[in-house]
Amino acid sequence: MDLISNLSLGLSIALQPHNLAFCFVGCLLGTLVGVLPGIGPTATIAMLLPITLGLDPSTSLIMLAGIYYGAQYGGSTTAILINLPGESSSAVTAIDGYQMAKRGRAGIALAAAALGSFFAGTVATVVLALFAPPLAKAALKFGSPEYFSLMVLGLVCAIALAHGSILKATAMIIVGLLFGLVGADLYSGAQRFTFGIPELSDELNFVSVAVGVFGIAEILRNLQNETDRDVMVKKVTGLWPTREDFRRMAGPVVRGTALGSILGVLPGGGAILAAFASYTVEKRISRRPQEFGKGAIEGVAGPESANNAGAQTSFIPMLTLGIPANPVMALMIGAMIIQGIVPGPNVVNQNPELFWGIIASMWAGNLMLVLLNLPLIGLWVRLLTIPYYLLFPAIMAFAAIGIYSINSNPYDLYTLTLFGALGYALVRFGCEPAPLLLGFVLGPMLEEHLRRAMIISRGDPTVFLTRPISAVLLVIAAIVLAVVLMPSVRRKREEVFVEED
Amino acid sequence: MTFNRSDVGAGAIFVGIGLFFGLMTLYGLDIGTARRMGPGYFPIVLSGLLVVFGITTILKGIGHEDVERGPLPWRGIAILLGVPVIFGLLIRPLGIAPVLLVTTFITSFASRRMSLIVALLLSLGLTVFCILVFVMGLGLPLRIFGPLVEPWTRPIFGVR
Amino acid sequence: MKKLLATLSIAALALLPQVAGAQTYPERTITMVVPFSAGGPTDTVARLVAEAMSRELGQQIIVENVGGAGGTVGAARVAQAAPDGYTLLLHHIGMATSATLYRKLPYNPLESFEYAGLVTEVPMTIIARPDFPADDLQGLIAYLKEHKDDVTYANAGIGAASHLCGMLFMSEIETQLTTVPYQGTGPAMTDLLGGQVDVMCDQTTNTTSQIQAGAVKAYAVTSPERLEQLPDLPTAAEGGLASMQFGIWHGLYAPKGTDPAIMERLSQALKVALKDKNVVERFAALATKPEPEENATPQALKAKLESEIARWKPLIEAAGVYAD
Repeated sequence: MDLISNLSLGLSIALQPHNLAFCFVGCLLGTLVGVLPGIGPTATIAMLLPITLGLDPSTSLIMLAGIYYGAQYGGSTTAILINLPGESSSAVTAIDGYQMAKRGRAGIALAAAALGSFFAGTVATVVLALFAPPLAKAALKFGSPEYFSLMVLGLVCAIALAHGSILKATAMIIVGLLFGLVGADLYSGAQRFTFGIPELSDELNFVSVAVGVFGIAEILRNLQNETDRDVMVKKVTGLWPTREDFRRMAGPVVRGTALGSILGVLPGGGAILAAFASYTVEKRISRRPQEFGKGAIEGVAGPESANNAGAQTSFIPMLTLGIPANPVMALMIGAMIIQGIVPGPNVVNQNPELFWGIIASMWAGNLMLVLLNLPLIGLWVRLLTIPYYLLFPAIMAFAAIGIYSINSNPYDLYTLTLFGALGYALVRFGCEPAPLLLGFVLGPMLEEHLRRAMIISRGDPTVFLTRPISAVLLVIAAIVLAVVLMPSVRRKREEVFVEED
Repeated sequence: MTFNRSDVGAGAIFVGIGLFFGLMTLYGLDIGTARRMGPGYFPIVLSGLLVVFGITTILKGIGHEDVERGPLPWRGIAILLGVPVIFGLLIRPLGIAPVLLVTTFITSFASRRMSLIVALLLSLGLTVFCILVFVMGLGLPLRIFGPLVEPWTRPIFGVR
Repeated sequence: MKKLLATLSIAALALLPQVAGAQTYPERTITMVVPFSAGGPTDTVARLVAEAMSRELGQQIIVENVGGAGGTVGAARVAQAAPDGYTLLLHHIGMATSATLYRKLPYNPLESFEYAGLVTEVPMTIIARPDFPADDLQGLIAYLKEHKDDVTYANAGIGAASHLCGMLFMSEIETQLTTVPYQGTGPAMTDLLGGQVDVMCDQTTNTTSQIQAGAVKAYAVTSPERLEQLPDLPTAAEGGLASMQFGIWHGLYAPKGTDPAIMERLSQALKVALKDKNVVERFAALATKPEPEENATPQALKAKLESEIARWKPLIEAAGVYAD
């Protein structure tokens, strides 16, 4: 069978010493830069892209891919340690990961993330090697009606994400959706809520919003408590998951991997939903849903696996069709072009050593990442013992540089201030930031696909029900909504909410 | 009258945001119809929903006991919200080195535990670290010294 | 105290080393602003040219991505930058079209810049979903005229190359199709490959690999001659649309008031860069060519800009689409 010869071709490329070395350097740099607060994977890759350009094409892409996983893992580390997600998927990790850290279980959360990611990465590599072309073809069946229905499902999941009041969580999603609309309207060119400022005519910067509602609000909360008690929990109870932890992780990791592998293939933003979907599923089927939001290991292991699997399979549309699934993949395509390789359906035939080399190196990269990061956990956890008054000025400095460096746009910093204020006020009034962030990410896509579906169908709203995939997704969304709103479930939630206050 | 300030406060913010977006849409954007949606269609639906949710949240809070919350860290709020603005305003004219030095120094004093010496050392150390990593190491397109201070720093640090 | 400060700053200003001048230029890192995000076709062109120019000038040129508002944010940034030759702008045809697309521009394309030269002109290709009925350009036009209410045309957003090309194409064939905008070329291509939309016209940068692989149907290229990379693809003129000649041209600019000697030096370096082996090869992979030496000059760029502003103004006004 071809697969074996293809994979051995790939391995022969990926295992060349200099490729291994650059893969390692990529993982290391990605982790180190990605772990800086406020600097997520996209910014990390944009920053590190130029240093890969001098290498030959395979090596350069192998290193870039390494940077990508490294940055993702680094981003999750920051989310767990200081509640600062650098991209939408690690916003989910922050929910329970940070709670675990607060309870002295930071090491276990990091280990769960690393091991879950490794498992997911390994499986996703096999998926990529086996099914890349057919999966890419299948993904093309997704048109705007299907994406719209998928986003609706995602929003319903976002409600389930909240562990407090459903009412407030839903309102927070709408707030996020509204702010997601700021900028020039794609269809008419009309400026929406930009006050005529050209710098605002693209969407608000995600990192500004995330650091604002999560990061600044968190720093302020910690400063508020500074006088009466220690901000960070110093006592760390063990770095390594117990047998019980492993038992609780296994299911979420497997389910998260499956979800992530499937959603990651969709070029229209499916990977974004993977972590959220995984969290929702785990919370729904868990026998201890009340622990979610308070440091449930399932809430870290599942989404992290989904996230990593999705990151991996989002290479499928890029490598097989030349289509970027997300901003990171767009950067990869730019890098390939500068290397003289035009991404497209022919890459697998014309540059098999590149195609299979990258796939094989993904697995090598994941292995290196886990080997690199498990020993580093101790170091990361020790970071928590740095006095908070030394830590938060550093957080602010890195965040400011990270945000500014993306587009050299000072308005991105003003946005940070706006969302810091809004986030702090809302969090103080008992709202949760994660649904706002999901709404913010999904808002533009929801509207874009809805309006495009209506244009293509010539204003016929039944397309959402007559196209089978779309109809199935809407039915699932309706079921999830019904479950979420079921009175008994709701009462239980309210109890949880009261307890917490 | 007793009311839960969390609910009423959050509800009021929701209503405020809803009204803000709603009014801006009504007075500036074409709404269109469900079949041919204009740029204002989505915003008007969402802001309407948000106002409804906001009012519901307020009503839910009335008649419930309030919960105790700590005092507001005013100094921290003013500093943390002001620093990004300072950074944004000064980064182009001054360059990254002076801006980091100033903003980190100010940021430090959001904490009551900070002393002058520690703040100075911290801002100096962080500035050097960031320049080494981001400008020299990663080659980000940031001027170390912007056009406003360059004439003075040039004799000391040379052309950057 | 205030007075002292004032005196001091005046003194300092007087001591300000006078613009070291064109003789020693360049003596520090140059920033090349690309008014679009990293990874796109313009960014790629800029990085390739910047790298080659760096070698010629002996100073590093770093690319800074200042995206936003169809390239106007980055252009405005450069228009307001110090005219010292250390801030450059690499912009494409949008420099000319934004003059009409945006009714309130914070700069004037013809007055706020100095010109170094033309860089490259990327041809456009007219393509359709793989199972589209028509087989050649004439067939396509006939089909579009007959089924104009059913056919959808994809573009990558207002002001994008595909939007401009669509405007020109529809005006040439005097047929209005339903336009479906996307957030960039990637998603538009995805939907074209999947058959969700019907027709598109985009830069060879984005389409060549798809055409070569047979993943889309191609009808014509808008360059004066056929492309080496796509020898079987006729030009629009061969297909009977003689006036459908058009490409995404890129130019290199500096802020108004930059020393003419510096502009001359930049134009010189650009000429060398455009002959660089690596640049030529990489451009060829994108099915485009560097501009010949006589076009890498301030005069050629200025003339191109003027003629293109005049060409697009009536088209955009007729379409009635504005970006603000």
